[in-house]
Amino acid sequence: MTLRAVLLLPEPACLRPDTSLLEALRLMLDKGVNHLPVCNGDEWAGLVDINDILGELLPSSARGEHGLKDLRFVGDGIALIATHIKELAAKQVLDVELLDLPTLDEDTPLLEAALLLHRYAAPLPVLGADGRLKGMLSRRILLAHLIAQAGS
Amino acid sequence: MTHPAAAEALFGLSPLVVSLAIFVLTYAVIVTEKINRSVVALLGAGLMIFAGVLNQAEAFHGIDLNTISLLTGMMVIVAITQKSGVFQYVAVKAAKVVKADPWGLLVMLSVVTAVFSALLDNVTTVLLIAPVTLLITDALRISPYPYLFSVIFASNIGGTATLIGDPPNIMIGSAAKLTFNDFLINVGPVAAVVMALTLIPIYFIWGRKLHAAPEDRALVMAFNERESITDARLLKQALFVIALVIAGFVLAHSVGQEPGTIAMFGAALLLLLRVYDKKAEDQSHAIHHTFGEVEWITIFFFIGLFVVVAGIEKAGALELLAHEIITWTGGDFTVTAYVILWVSAVLSAVVDNIPFVATMIPVIQSMGSVFTPQQIDTLWWALSLGACLGGNGTLVGASANLVVAGMAERAGHPIRFLPFMLMAFPLMLASIAVSSVYLWLRYL
Repeated sequence: MTLRAVLLLPEPACLRPDTSLLEALRLMLDKGVNHLPVCNGDEWAGLVDINDILGELLPSSARGEHGLKDLRFVGDGIALIATHIKELAAKQVLDVELLDLPTLDEDTPLLEAALLLHRYAAPLPVLGADGRLKGMLSRRILLAHLIAQAGS
Repeated sequence: MTHPAAAEALFGLSPLVVSLAIFVLTYAVIVTEKINRSVVALLGAGLMIFAGVLNQAEAFHGIDLNTISLLTGMMVIVAITQKSGVFQYVAVKAAKVVKADPWGLLVMLSVVTAVFSALLDNVTTVLLIAPVTLLITDALRISPYPYLFSVIFASNIGGTATLIGDPPNIMIGSAAKLTFNDFLINVGPVAAVVMALTLIPIYFIWGRKLHAAPEDRALVMAFNERESITDARLLKQALFVIALVIAGFVLAHSVGQEPGTIAMFGAALLLLLRVYDKKAEDQSHAIHHTFGEVEWITIFFFIGLFVVVAGIEKAGALELLAHEIITWTGGDFTVTAYVILWVSAVLSAVVDNIPFVATMIPVIQSMGSVFTPQQIDTLWWALSLGACLGGNGTLVGASANLVVAGMAERAGHPIRFLPFMLMAFPLMLASIAVSSVYLWLRYL
């Protein structure tokens, strides 16, 4: 059985790369999701992760391998975070590193799709033959489908 | 000219030719940075032995274990100490002392970096200071570039001041039997003068234009540096051991001990204090973790280089080079000292100063037949000043420069090679000019 049998997430709202991070964040909060797909024209470009947007609110000195280990000494840092929130409006989706994920298609076997979902902590894009995004496959959708199949 | 000890032929070639070929190949591959430098140095060392230039005993004899012990011991001490948060504490305190005034902050961070760098290795220093610098400039909403530039300069200048501040000094001190005090007395003063003078052009280029809003300065003043101390017990233990080790360095010569022994003993003592009350399994875990933080790449790089240099030294290449330098300078001591100072500086700005210094040490030792011991000491200071300060010339001149550039890039404030060099190279040359005057006034 392939993904053709699985009902994917509803037609995803694909962000343009020049969408501001603030707008992307608002959309995520409205929809209650942690990721949003990004398309370059009709082509799939990647997935923006809410954790990367959260990271943009932190001082850059605390990000990365050798960053500050803790920020307790800064205090609540509300003023610092407020400054960075303002900057989110000027930053675009393409300013953060999009999640580079394997793409699926309707002929991908379910077992392979399950394996890839297990390996990557994000929903995976399902593309049509023309490279356009047909939908997103989440763990919940796949598991619901697998359980329904096992029960029938 | 071939050294008598290496007169036997190898595959029909002289040891001099074979050793030089291995040396040039090793250094050329190191410069390309395509393969990890420790691997290249160890392969070069192996080739020196397989080619018959050295036997294993001679190769091991070429490894300066005093340097290796000093580096490793200090790396262990720093790896443990930095977990206490003391360096962060000092940097934040320094910012608050000047009430987060942008120019005062730049001066304080430079001084703190220089002092830490004199006591720790430069890379560790910038790894500790650069993130705090980025945080404070972020809070002040000012460009971190002048601060990171100054941190780079201060790390290399501070490292020049002491025996343990920069690997070239460790190597020179060990080979020439120069003590911690010798470095402090002979290169310490000029390092302090260079640091102070370097801040003058930095003020005119950036400093006088730096401005932060009062509310942003208030944000920095609200930082609580005491919260930086994550482990007060560790802090006391580490400060106790560091004080002991530095006292040991100062007194080493008079008690007939080498710095390597003192650093290793200090490392073992600090490890003991950290684990004595833990279960055996937890002790193993903690010690394994600490040893994992030693920069083994650097240590094995040194080991390989020492063997490669021992190969060309045994073959007589370095003695030949020393003769050539003396012939070229006409045996004039002043000219020789200046040639060593300026050539070391310019080369260290573009290539790794560790291999260069490893090569130059036997060359200067070979000049002992021409110059007096006091004059040879002056050549050591020239080599130290040139190799350490030269690292400021370009972004690739010292590992610390690249570490800061990497952090700046990740923070969205990239430091580009050419703009950095356009400012840094003339400043580096000015520091060498100051060193030239210092050498002339004091020794020549």
